[in-house]
Amino acid sequence: MKIDFELNGKPVSVDVPGDRRVVDLLREDLHLTGTKEACGSGECGACTVLVNGESRLSCLMLAAQLEGKSLTTIEGIGQGKDLHLLQKKFVEYGAVQCGFCTPGMILAALRLLRQNPRPTRREIREGISGNLCRCTGYQMIVDAVEAAAEEIGDERA
Amino acid sequence: MKRKTERQPCEAGRSMPRLDAYAKVTGKTRYASDFYAGDMVWAGVKRGGVPHATILSVETEEARAVEGVIAVLTAEDVTGTNRQGVVRKDQPVLADHRIRHRGDPVALVVAESRRALREAVDLIRIQVEPLRAVLDTDAALRDGAISIHEDHPGGNVLLEGTLETGEGEDAFAQCDAVVEAEFQVPMQEHAYLETEAGWSVLEGDGVLKIEASTQTPFRDRSEVAEAIGLPVDRVRVIAPYCGGAFGGKDGVTIQSLLGLAAMRVPGRPVKMWLDREESFLAGVKRHPARLRFRLGAKADGTLHALSADLDYDTGPYDHLGGVVTALGLEHAGGPYRIPNTRVRARSVYTNNPVGGAFRGFGVPQAAAGMEQVIDMLASKLGLSPVTMRLKNVVRRGDRNAIGVAVLSSTGIHECLEVLEGHPLWRDRRAWKDRCPPARKRGVGVACVMQAVGYGPKVPDVANAKIELTPEGAFRVYCGVVDMGQGNITTYLQIAGHVLSQDLTAMEPVLPDTDQTLPSGSASASRTTFTFGKALIRASKLLKRRILERATDLLMEEDPRNLDLVPGEVIHLTSGKRIPLSQIALILNREERFAVARYRAPVSRERPTDREDLRLHGIPHTVFSFGAHLAAVEVDELTGRIAVKKYLVISDCGRLINPRLFEQQVHGGVAQGLGYGLLEDMIVRDGKIMTGDFSTYIIPTALDVPNMVSLAVQMEEKSGPFGLKGAGEVAVDAPLPAVANAVADACGVRITRFPMTPERIMEQLERSGEPAP
Amino acid sequence: MSGREARVWLPGSLDELWKIWSDAPDAVLYAGGTDLMVRRRKGGPLAGSDLICLERVADFREIREEGEEILIGAGCTIASLMDHPLVRQNFPVLTQAFKVLGSPPIRNMASIGGNICTASPAGDTLPPLYVMDALLELRRENGLRRIPIREFITGPGKTDLGPGEVLSGIRIPRLPRYNLHHYEKVGQRNALSISIAGLAAIARISAERTIEDIRLAWGSVGPTVVRSRNIEKALTGKPLSSESMEAAFPLVDRAVSPIDDLRANARYRRILARNLLLRLPFRGVHP
Repeated sequence: MKIDFELNGKPVSVDVPGDRRVVDLLREDLHLTGTKEACGSGECGACTVLVNGESRLSCLMLAAQLEGKSLTTIEGIGQGKDLHLLQKKFVEYGAVQCGFCTPGMILAALRLLRQNPRPTRREIREGISGNLCRCTGYQMIVDAVEAAAEEIGDERA
Repeated sequence: MKRKTERQPCEAGRSMPRLDAYAKVTGKTRYASDFYAGDMVWAGVKRGGVPHATILSVETEEARAVEGVIAVLTAEDVTGTNRQGVVRKDQPVLADHRIRHRGDPVALVVAESRRALREAVDLIRIQVEPLRAVLDTDAALRDGAISIHEDHPGGNVLLEGTLETGEGEDAFAQCDAVVEAEFQVPMQEHAYLETEAGWSVLEGDGVLKIEASTQTPFRDRSEVAEAIGLPVDRVRVIAPYCGGAFGGKDGVTIQSLLGLAAMRVPGRPVKMWLDREESFLAGVKRHPARLRFRLGAKADGTLHALSADLDYDTGPYDHLGGVVTALGLEHAGGPYRIPNTRVRARSVYTNNPVGGAFRGFGVPQAAAGMEQVIDMLASKLGLSPVTMRLKNVVRRGDRNAIGVAVLSSTGIHECLEVLEGHPLWRDRRAWKDRCPPARKRGVGVACVMQAVGYGPKVPDVANAKIELTPEGAFRVYCGVVDMGQGNITTYLQIAGHVLSQDLTAMEPVLPDTDQTLPSGSASASRTTFTFGKALIRASKLLKRRILERATDLLMEEDPRNLDLVPGEVIHLTSGKRIPLSQIALILNREERFAVARYRAPVSRERPTDREDLRLHGIPHTVFSFGAHLAAVEVDELTGRIAVKKYLVISDCGRLINPRLFEQQVHGGVAQGLGYGLLEDMIVRDGKIMTGDFSTYIIPTALDVPNMVSLAVQMEEKSGPFGLKGAGEVAVDAPLPAVANAVADACGVRITRFPMTPERIMEQLERSGEPAP
Repeated sequence: MSGREARVWLPGSLDELWKIWSDAPDAVLYAGGTDLMVRRRKGGPLAGSDLICLERVADFREIREEGEEILIGAGCTIASLMDHPLVRQNFPVLTQAFKVLGSPPIRNMASIGGNICTASPAGDTLPPLYVMDALLELRRENGLRRIPIREFITGPGKTDLGPGEVLSGIRIPRLPRYNLHHYEKVGQRNALSISIAGLAAIARISAERTIEDIRLAWGSVGPTVVRSRNIEKALTGKPLSSESMEAAFPLVDRAVSPIDDLRANARYRRILARNLLLRLPFRGVHP
């Protein structure tokens, strides 16, 4: 099945089975291994991607559903020296340990901040509550998102 | 000469961001599970599916006939010992005559695609003669119980140890107050986000290369070689950053299977990656345990006698189960002076899932019992739990509960003093009084200790290597895996401190049996402790060599007139600078490398003469400590427990990177809270009923409170820059701290963990607490 | 993993749906996929089936006022409804349930129609829809029928959905007279959890705190959501107090029929079914 969509800002066209899971399309066909799989059933959030800006689980979504959509993965957020503010704060605030939940976590947080630029700590916890992390106990992730929100707020002010 | 003046050298004691975080936040980090290649094939296994049986035959014809299937292997195809393990090598790579738990691998399939693999695995038929399954420790210990390993002289008891001090149990007669209780603590799943994964290739030179998500590349190499019948020098194991492990990758998971598969397709990479359900089925667990404690004190609260019996269900194999149990035994009396003790622990074979290493390594179980009975005893004597503990915790020079003199730095008293003065403790009554309707609030504490390192017999050794590269940078050859703790960053920080360099001038080489030197496992709270010390030595050697050569170059006489600064050597009297790249040019290859070894200190004490217990780690000499406080709110309508506030005060020695240390504390507490409150692994007939993330419940961001982490930084002379281990101790205390808080809130104490709302509600009803 | 490649269609309108469906009558319909994809993964009859994804059927994504009712398209995602002013203003009890359903990405994907058709006794939107007497619109190629939700769901995972029929919309009457809106779910944790027991309540409470009218529905304590007119009648006219609620306990015991499962035992669910009523007196009442 031929599927045209936008991937990290660039148009792409793939020919894959329509029922191929988006996570497999990304990792195996497009070699974007930043999107992780850790449960395969929507319970952990490691495979979170943004579809038209909304967080979705790429293990529960089929390639066919991408037709005409805009897909953002961790690779499209910021690379090398050009990191997104959230990525910088994740580094700075110690939000990363093993890092396997990190890509999904950052995308979930990005979605949250776009929806709610000045979230409370409680709202941050709610915003990332679909993303399991087994290393950090979440606190430094909340710190990082809070710091990013503050800086975004300061820039706007 | 132009130079950047803003480069700040690394400094032990100052937090710095993790080096690995940059690649992790961009998705660039390549984990073992991220490997794909065009000519790659897939490997997977058919698992036993029954808890205990004799294998009559394994029918593989149909599987072999599936298009795309390259090979189907059974135990007959394994030319090595087909046995894995660390102490007792009793776990087959592929089950030969017997299935001992449902997750035992019986046949290995190598296929061109995952689809063919799945289809073939489903077509394999195992003909078995069922054996009576041994489903709990009582059944295993019963007279006439079927032996899970017929060749094991101890029958179903893998390891049993008893330690006695003073007058042992006779001393209870001299106590003014005695309490006793029995607890059951659950099996716990590591639930690392990256399930067991790796890939392997048999290279042209006959070397089997395995890249795996592992904590133990060097041990894996020997285990794999022996199990599948290769000389050790023909196996190379590479350990990239690992997506979480917590002990669950302390030992071989898929490595031997990958090796067997790769031997069938020379030159082609073979990948194996368990899905979550298979990871639950096959992976090792924290040992479930039954704990019987009896604790007695004098009227003033001085602990006087302890009796403890700990039974650990180790499943069918010694996947470090004996060592786990021995550490539980050593820690049964907690960080207390108790003059008369008798403690016994047993590790018992069953047909349940395999017990193995898990952060805390037998100690969380022991602490769950000890820290509750001491609270019960304090309450009986009318003492505050903090007063009771302050009176009894070990100080340096005391003898601990197994009679071993505590000679290394010991800050548990200091931790407790900080706790006692903290507003969360001081103002607890006011906080409890502000409770919302239909809820009750309580505050509980727990004190724990955790040994650092392997113990008296198994050499706890690390070998560090550091290179001044031809470009004038430093390359640190890291022998111990970073499974998420950040130790690789700490290693560079340590080298940077000694060599006065910043992180931009340094790079790590990740563990690789061909590149880095054997340095033991990423476990036992020894990852930074032992390797860090070796690395300090290696860095000092290299520093001296660099300064000596610079001295020659400058026709200076005294190397003390020179020092290192980022990227350069500086001549202190003239201000003249020589770039390190220039020094590197005049050193020959051998001179650019420095290697050093460190062996961690061991205790000279002999609480037991049994050599097998010493081999299993008793006694240790360096301990980390922690005092925890949990403030909880119990919903009287539902029995739900909300942990509202959490305070940890740790003594892990002087900190090198306080931020990374705090990460370990937070993560340990969150796992400990999951263990105490949520993670209810249900196993029936040897089968895990909660074998995925929808039924096995680990904490989300909404289930962990904000934590306050403080450190009492007492210097430990034997550790790098005064550090002790920090990776485990935080997981030991949350269960008892919360249990004590719940008892404080509503007077109930449950004996079977985790503290699910259902169990709490049952106790609330039983205690005659009328539903409001 | 399926044995063969399954076909996937994404109709953009009802007309397209009917056409595709008649060409592929064995295809399975789904909207968000949060349930279906999990079941497909675990094998079974769904593993290789052709699929029709409803997320682009525009007719199913509407939310509009129709007189005294609001019509919610069955394909609306939980997240879009959570943010929708018409839903928030009119159906606070539903909004409360949305907030504890799954997790943010699940709510971005899952549809309200899917939650209804999955017909799990633990479905989070169901107790609120029961107390509001939601009316479901079911379409087939040549027809439309309306059925109350309590008649539509016939058992765990079972509905009255006929062959060739699809749930297209949910009609909910505005309920201006109610000033207490309450949903409480007891799960194993605070997010990503399946309900062990849940209670939805809407009530009219007088200035003197008398219950003038109340509707109650329990989730996860029976094969389908439990609503009991007896209990509602018994509480009407009583003060909003713990005593009134306790007096209704025997009726609750008779109304519910919980089971043991991995998440909780029946005994605990019974306790919850009673005790969740005791939260009502603590709830704020909008004048």
